[in-house]
Amino acid sequence: MTFDLLLKGGHLIDPKNGIDAQKDLAITKGKVAAVDDDIPAGQAGKVIDVTGLTIIPGIVDIHAHMYATPGNRKAWAGDQSILPDGFSFRTGVTTMVDTGTAGWRTFEDFRYRVLERFQTRMFAFLNIVGLGMISTEIEQNFHDMDVDAFEAVARENGDLIVGSKTAHYLGPEWTPVDRTLEAARRIDKPAMIDFGLFPSNRPYYELVTQRMAAGDISTHMFLGDVPWLDADGRIFKYLYDARERGIIFDVGHGGGSFCFRLAVPAIEQGFYPDSISSDLHTHCMNAEMMDMPTVMSKLLVLGMPLPDVIRASTINPAQEIGHPELGHLSVGAVADVAALNLWKGDFTYLDVHGGSLKADRRLFNELTLFDGEVVWDWNGRTGVDYRELDPLYGVRNKKEGLILPPA
Amino acid sequence: MTFDLLLKGGRIVDPKNGVDGKKDLAITNGTIAAVDDTIPEGQGRKVIDVTGLIVTPGLVDIHAHMYATPGHRNAWAGDNSILPDGFSFRTGVTTMVDTGSAGWRNFEDYRLRVLDRFRTRMFAYLNICGLGMISNHMEQNVHDMDVDELVRVARENEDIVVGTKTAHYWGTDWTSVDRAIAGAREIHKPVMIDFGNFPEERPYYQLVTEKLQKDDISTHCYRADVPWLGPDGKVLKYLHIARERGVIFDVGHGGGSLNFRNAVPAVEQGFCPDSISTDLHTGSMNGGMMDMATTMSKFIVMGMPLVDVIRASTINPANEIGHPELGHLSVGAVADVAVLDLLEGNFGYRDAQNGKLEGKQRFVCELTLKDGRVVWDWNSRAAVDYREMDPSAGVRNPEGLIMPPQELT
Repeated sequence: MTFDLLLKGGHLIDPKNGIDAQKDLAITKGKVAAVDDDIPAGQAGKVIDVTGLTIIPGIVDIHAHMYATPGNRKAWAGDQSILPDGFSFRTGVTTMVDTGTAGWRTFEDFRYRVLERFQTRMFAFLNIVGLGMISTEIEQNFHDMDVDAFEAVARENGDLIVGSKTAHYLGPEWTPVDRTLEAARRIDKPAMIDFGLFPSNRPYYELVTQRMAAGDISTHMFLGDVPWLDADGRIFKYLYDARERGIIFDVGHGGGSFCFRLAVPAIEQGFYPDSISSDLHTHCMNAEMMDMPTVMSKLLVLGMPLPDVIRASTINPAQEIGHPELGHLSVGAVADVAALNLWKGDFTYLDVHGGSLKADRRLFNELTLFDGEVVWDWNGRTGVDYRELDPLYGVRNKKEGLILPPA
Repeated sequence: MTFDLLLKGGRIVDPKNGVDGKKDLAITNGTIAAVDDTIPEGQGRKVIDVTGLIVTPGLVDIHAHMYATPGHRNAWAGDNSILPDGFSFRTGVTTMVDTGSAGWRNFEDYRLRVLDRFRTRMFAYLNICGLGMISNHMEQNVHDMDVDELVRVARENEDIVVGTKTAHYWGTDWTSVDRAIAGAREIHKPVMIDFGNFPEERPYYQLVTEKLQKDDISTHCYRADVPWLGPDGKVLKYLHIARERGVIFDVGHGGGSLNFRNAVPAVEQGFCPDSISTDLHTGSMNGGMMDMATTMSKFIVMGMPLVDVIRASTINPANEIGHPELGHLSVGAVADVAVLDLLEGNFGYRDAQNGKLEGKQRFVCELTLKDGRVVWDWNSRAAVDYREMDPSAGVRNPEGLIMPPQELT
């Protein structure tokens, strides 16, 4: 037998490798072993029929909040976070990045309680605020924004930390942004900026055209406070200037940061997000955001081509976090794979202000592989007809077998 | 008369009230205000079109593990548990009952860290083991199974504790079962039994025909170790005897406890579960079990009538936990509502051992209300076209949008 596992009959989209065609995908020892027009079923130990599904690299969600363990009420670093495994695989996500829920004071605990447990592939942006996101009030304290302390923790945890983060800042100063950028430069990784309240003293255009550098990430790009359109309805020039400078525009949908009023014209005029991300936390998980396939569907029905939606959900975010080994299906790559069904029907989507948009398509995740192992199988494609299993399958009392009642 | 909310055009299935038909459902002040063949749209301040969908009482899942906070690795009272809100509403579940993840020693912490937080309606069975489900090894310790302590903690938390629990016991003696039952009798609530490792010395038939009383619950009822069929392929008589005695048979699917080899013939012969439950934990959430809607779908495709599937997922489990105020859509009842789509197509289902059964139907949950509020809306039925909203919707800065200077526009 040549391969461990074969996904047969699917339509494969792998933007990094320029593939958008019907292809079979073979996996051995947790790695992509072959991608070809037709790989015979006999060459694999296990074959999964994925006819009708779109096979893509495992989705990389670079904006999530996973520090659910500290016990703080009403806190991102607390009860408003989620634990990853119940949210990732079922939606095709195999890599989830925490965006600054923990800071340099709390990262050791976050690593111990979350990042080193659970199955989802996890990374983290480290908050410039020592206590991270315990509350918005604590995130205002720039006495706790210590670049040296940040650098020490980021270096100690270089395997997990992919950049620096500031968020939710309300004040008129540039201090949090500047320290976050300085911290990122010290560790040679990008900064991700949530710009908080957008006061006139520190305008957004200055952030993306002057302060940030190539590779830095402006998340919440479709937040209501971002000025997108001039009086004629055209996208402002400064956004193109920023993009040309190499600034990354990330969705970070969340509970407050996706506005159709902005996203519709942006996509119509071809200003696509570099990366699509969820900003997953307890407030948005049951609301308009829901999950990655729902957010990806929104961009798709707004007119972003499917391969670009996949690109912005796989290889782009993988590269943004400095992990180009993820987000593609090159032979030899780790076999993180999602198999999506593109449903046709009548669907309605919501932005975070309750605005709705009707459309006829929706992406739905059916099957997920992580390191080549099946971690989600919504439609039982990997099962074996129960009548073909051993007649006593599942009995745990192996020694005595079934204990029958007296006649 | 005006209602806060009107669900219009759906098929209401409310087994407690014998309702199964096209009806409209009106809600006011978080409770059911009216159920009628036609309630005019003008009478609802908000109207949600649920044409083509099945409207049921909010699902009641009486077998889940929600004690995710203690930090123990590989433990039901720890990393193998889930936190409820991300798993409940999206599958139509409005009430979730923990089945003994915490015992009388750690229930105070459990209550503080989980049960008093989060939005899902939560109750709990209290484990006869003081430490609850930290590990299967702890659950073997009969010295930690203290009936007096269990009764004390159960009484202190009687608003939340709905019964007692024992689970995962391997020993050949009846100690864990007997003490869990003794605790249940003292607090006048049922016991739920996970029978552990079915040894010859304490046979299952004796549990359900002698030890358990009316309203006590045998969970994991289609587990492979339960003897279901005689050599003639008929459901064994002792199971019918147990059911006649009033013993409750609960699914508790989980990661190891729904076996099509048992469930398919049982359902075919009409021995359907009294309650359908998930045994939700991290080992089952991404496996064959997935969620309540999937577990219910399996019983639909095995041939259990739809109304009975809804009954076993709403009013039956509500009654089993002593909360008959839940699980139905009577006027005046709390407006916990699930709106399900019964998809038609080719679907595969896996049991806990990866045995597969194919079927033509599958439930997905589209909309969930708790206390009359929308807590899940997969298809955004409760929405306003974004073009009709205020053009400044979403701008948080009181100064308004801060525009770039001319040269950057």
